[in-house]
Amino acid sequence: MASETVFECRGVHYAYRGRFPALGGVDIAVEAGERVALVGANGCGKSTLLSLLDALVFADKGRVLFRGVALTEAAFSDDAFARSFRKQVGLVFQNPDVQLFCPTVRDDIAFGPLQLGVDAKTAEARIGRLAEALGIGALLDRSPHQLSVGEKRKVALATSLAVEPDVLLLDEPTAGLDPRTTTHLIELLDAFARAGKTVVTATHDLHIVPDLADRVYVFGQNRTIAGSGTPEEVLADHALLDANNLIHVHHHHASDHRKFRWSAPDDKR
Amino acid sequence: MRRPRGFIERTLTGTLAFFRQALYDDETASRPGLLQALDPRAKAATLLAFLLYALMTRSLAMLGVLYVFALALAAASRISPRTFLVRTWVFIPLFSLFLAVPALFSAVSPGRAVASVGGLTVTEQGLRAAAFFLGRVTVSVSLTVLLSMTTRHFELLKALRAFGVPQVFVMVLGISTRYIYLFVGVVEDTYRAIRSRVGFAVCPQRGQRLVAGNMAHLWMRSYQMNEHVYQAMLARGFRGEPVALQRFRMGARDGWWMGACAALLLGLIGAEWMMGV
Repeated sequence: MASETVFECRGVHYAYRGRFPALGGVDIAVEAGERVALVGANGCGKSTLLSLLDALVFADKGRVLFRGVALTEAAFSDDAFARSFRKQVGLVFQNPDVQLFCPTVRDDIAFGPLQLGVDAKTAEARIGRLAEALGIGALLDRSPHQLSVGEKRKVALATSLAVEPDVLLLDEPTAGLDPRTTTHLIELLDAFARAGKTVVTATHDLHIVPDLADRVYVFGQNRTIAGSGTPEEVLADHALLDANNLIHVHHHHASDHRKFRWSAPDDKR
Repeated sequence: MRRPRGFIERTLTGTLAFFRQALYDDETASRPGLLQALDPRAKAATLLAFLLYALMTRSLAMLGVLYVFALALAAASRISPRTFLVRTWVFIPLFSLFLAVPALFSAVSPGRAVASVGGLTVTEQGLRAAAFFLGRVTVSVSLTVLLSMTTRHFELLKALRAFGVPQVFVMVLGISTRYIYLFVGVVEDTYRAIRSRVGFAVCPQRGQRLVAGNMAHLWMRSYQMNEHVYQAMLARGFRGEPVALQRFRMGARDGWWMGACAALLLGLIGAEWMMGV
């Protein structure tokens, strides 16, 4: 069976306010049902690419295609297309405080479905299912500011899953999480992918890449794709990872640290 | 020895204490109790009706009855009498002092003299006007504090929809409340970081510079966050017309409550009419 290309980026350039370059000609393709990881050092453009894939910003140059349709401002002026796209694609932001803007967790989870025309009863049913799957039932009537980072991340994931998208985009989903919560999150995403959904994850945490991806794109310092392959191929390519600030090879011994001493310019000791 | 606190420290700690109090109110509103169990719309509507009556009544006795009623409601809602009295009597002098005190004297309320204070004459009409003003403020503040202490803030906001406030307005208020708490946390962390580096004693000029710098930083952060929150709303299908979950259900208890309140209100009006006030 021929697979369908969900996202295709061809020579995508983007600069914030037209002055601060974030992407310098990115080419990637994401197939339906595929799990893709975008790895790269801080500030290499991963989050910007996710924003482009979710049509929150639009390419300055080049094209981003979703199931063959170019994502442009003109396309999103059509309400039917915009609604259909938002039903199919969900984005989990890096900062969960951005995503949790309602007074309670329940309102936040219901927000997406209600905006997309789902009736209140169905939205409530989805809240119940997600609360059980993510173990957040006790948090539903709490305010997001009362939650821990791990709880916020789970709720943020729930807000995107409540729309029941085919494609999930995740920006640094495990940042700041303890090992147990990280494992739980990976298991949830794995279950989502096994249901035939497409998952695109931006991360600089190489440890989770084999669990999250079938294909990996490595961002270079010049904000383009420096390499790609299976997780095994990419993680074995130390030269590629080192060149792009994803691993650091220690050239000195532990005893060298002990020789180091802080000294302020006016330190007279 | 207690260290004297500067203006900046007092302002910050006062603001943070206010928000901690708001969090405490949310906890009180989550406890089981008479008013907590009611639908917020029924509660807001009935307390508003009593408040309007307090503003219109011409009987001091009726104001007294309403105040006793408010105290009874606080007790039935498991609010400790001390907490309730402290919360209400913080505001009452604030609202009433400047208007009630001048009203005592003949210059504002001419009439039969009953006493003289420092060359100023206190009149019977002045005493009555001041008592009415104080009584109305006391009842109004008590009812408002009762509503705020027994209703979670987001429910209070949602209840506004029942009074015809547009959804977009309610949503903006809700988002603002949510992010005020976030930025209060940022301010608290910044204040702690400053104290960890420069200690407690900051000269006023330096303190002003620190505060001004941090206000600018906070403004930039809130502006950035504003953009990102809007993107997060768009990502979940927001197209300019918000739709929100309404989970309020009027039950038999709310019906009984509204019936009892209507009966009490009619009883008060009837009693006042029979007294010929």
